[in-house]
Amino acid sequence: MRAAALLLAVLAWPAQAAWEWGAPLTVNSVRGAAVFPHLESANRQGVAVSGDTVGVVWEDNRDRSPQCYLAMKPSAAANFQPEIRLSQADCYEPVVMALDAGRFVAAWEEAGRVHARVLPGGKALQLSKAEAVQITLAMRGNRVYAAWAEQAGRFRRIVVARLTLQGDALGVKTAQPVEAAMPSDEQGWPALAVAGDGSVTVAWEDRRSRHTVPMVSHSRDGHGFALPARLTDHKSGSVDGLGAGTGAMRPTLTAWGEQGLTAVWLDKRDFLSGYDVYAASDTGTRRFGKNIRVQDSFGDNMAQWHATVVGDASGRLVALWDDARDGTPDVWLADWDGKAFGDNETVPAASGPGAQSDPVATLDAAGFLHVVWLDRDEAAGTRIRYARAGWR
Amino acid sequence: MNLIKMLWMASFLWAGAALADPPPGYRFVGYDAGLKAARASGKPIFLYFGRYGCAWCDHTNKKTFSDAALKKLYTENYELVYVDAESGKRLTLPSGERITEAELGVRLQAFATPLFVYLTPQGDKIVQIPGFKTVQDFRDYDRYVRGGHYKQKTLLEFLDGKS
Repeated sequence: MRAAALLLAVLAWPAQAAWEWGAPLTVNSVRGAAVFPHLESANRQGVAVSGDTVGVVWEDNRDRSPQCYLAMKPSAAANFQPEIRLSQADCYEPVVMALDAGRFVAAWEEAGRVHARVLPGGKALQLSKAEAVQITLAMRGNRVYAAWAEQAGRFRRIVVARLTLQGDALGVKTAQPVEAAMPSDEQGWPALAVAGDGSVTVAWEDRRSRHTVPMVSHSRDGHGFALPARLTDHKSGSVDGLGAGTGAMRPTLTAWGEQGLTAVWLDKRDFLSGYDVYAASDTGTRRFGKNIRVQDSFGDNMAQWHATVVGDASGRLVALWDDARDGTPDVWLADWDGKAFGDNETVPAASGPGAQSDPVATLDAAGFLHVVWLDRDEAAGTRIRYARAGWR
Repeated sequence: MNLIKMLWMASFLWAGAALADPPPGYRFVGYDAGLKAARASGKPIFLYFGRYGCAWCDHTNKKTFSDAALKKLYTENYELVYVDAESGKRLTLPSGERITEAELGVRLQAFATPLFVYLTPQGDKIVQIPGFKTVQDFRDYDRYVRGGHYKQKTLLEFLDGKS
């Protein structure tokens, strides 16, 4: 009986679908021991696919100051085209979002203000009047939104803007804080998504409770946001009068399926094993449900970093992060199976000897998963690497 | 000093305290300022990697860093740097790489706070020690670092052999 079961399992194995990866490519054309590329951004939005063109944004210091770059690769091209510099002054945390037919919107922080530009073509537009950082973008149909953290008194607070788009010209239609009241502590790292019903959701990390807590708020139309709620269902607070609570940071957010939203963040509720990856979903009720631990038990005693989540209209949902459970940092992913996140798998080209980290990802309209990561080499310099996978 | 001025100063001090949780009364500065000061003074760096709201940091501050003699020892002999494990504040590593304070935790492979890191005046790591520590622990670490024992021994070897 056991032999028969084993035979059945072996026969069934090839039929199990899995990600099938293409050959990895290098994105950045300039490398060196003193050149440091970064894929960090609000909502980890460093790659997008428009039509058949992949766009990747990052920041590096090749020009002796931090500047932001975009590289594109049409599907017919074997490699990424030489990158375009987006900024003139010190630039940080760029993001990119797909428009149509090979066009993108890129946004970034430059000289303490947030900017956006349509590419190719288009001119950079300063979106914020006050000092602002950590911009992110979202769109559905012809509605384009941006969110950023803007200085308001002593602290920063989250602002959501509706942008106009005419040809390759962007404008700001409205820009308003999620909460009218001045912030009582720091807010930052917003993540933005527009669900299938057109409602706008913004998540961010928030210190009003004297420790870092991911918060979320919804708006039916991008105006008038609901009272913020915690994403975390873990009741953190002081312990025996000490501290204020365990931390949770860097929320990311994706729309998926017909109405769904999922948030993924780094959470230190188990404070002795570093940050873990946690997720919560909103099926369309505009309330996020129970928190779910994403990484499997093999990653439990290991710190996870740089978590992100991507979804698509067909209902596919994938979480990615890096951790060093196999000895060195590798990029890991877990697919949502309808009830839980499945077994953790490495991205093959982003695992093994050396340090592969900082994943950013997107799912394109055909269901292909595009992943970009950093491949660190202290002597030769860090490569930004890209790979595409199909579900087979 | 009039009342408005006093209230303004109090709110300023409160804002500084609210951004991070270094022990009160110590002259902790940010990473870049501390590295610059260490290069100028030649003193080693004592880097306190804490987290906003961290209970064990609070415990260490109250039980250990409240000791007046320890405060004198560390204030006089180290450049004191505080880094917030979840902050997006930027800093520049000795290599020239610009990262955030939170990213420093990735590079240090930090899994818990507080984490105490001793660095040379040039910013090279000597040793890092996680978790709550006593006044005597910090006195031992000081002897290990300023005595130059780290050049010959691991911290554990040094502590095993101490009289």
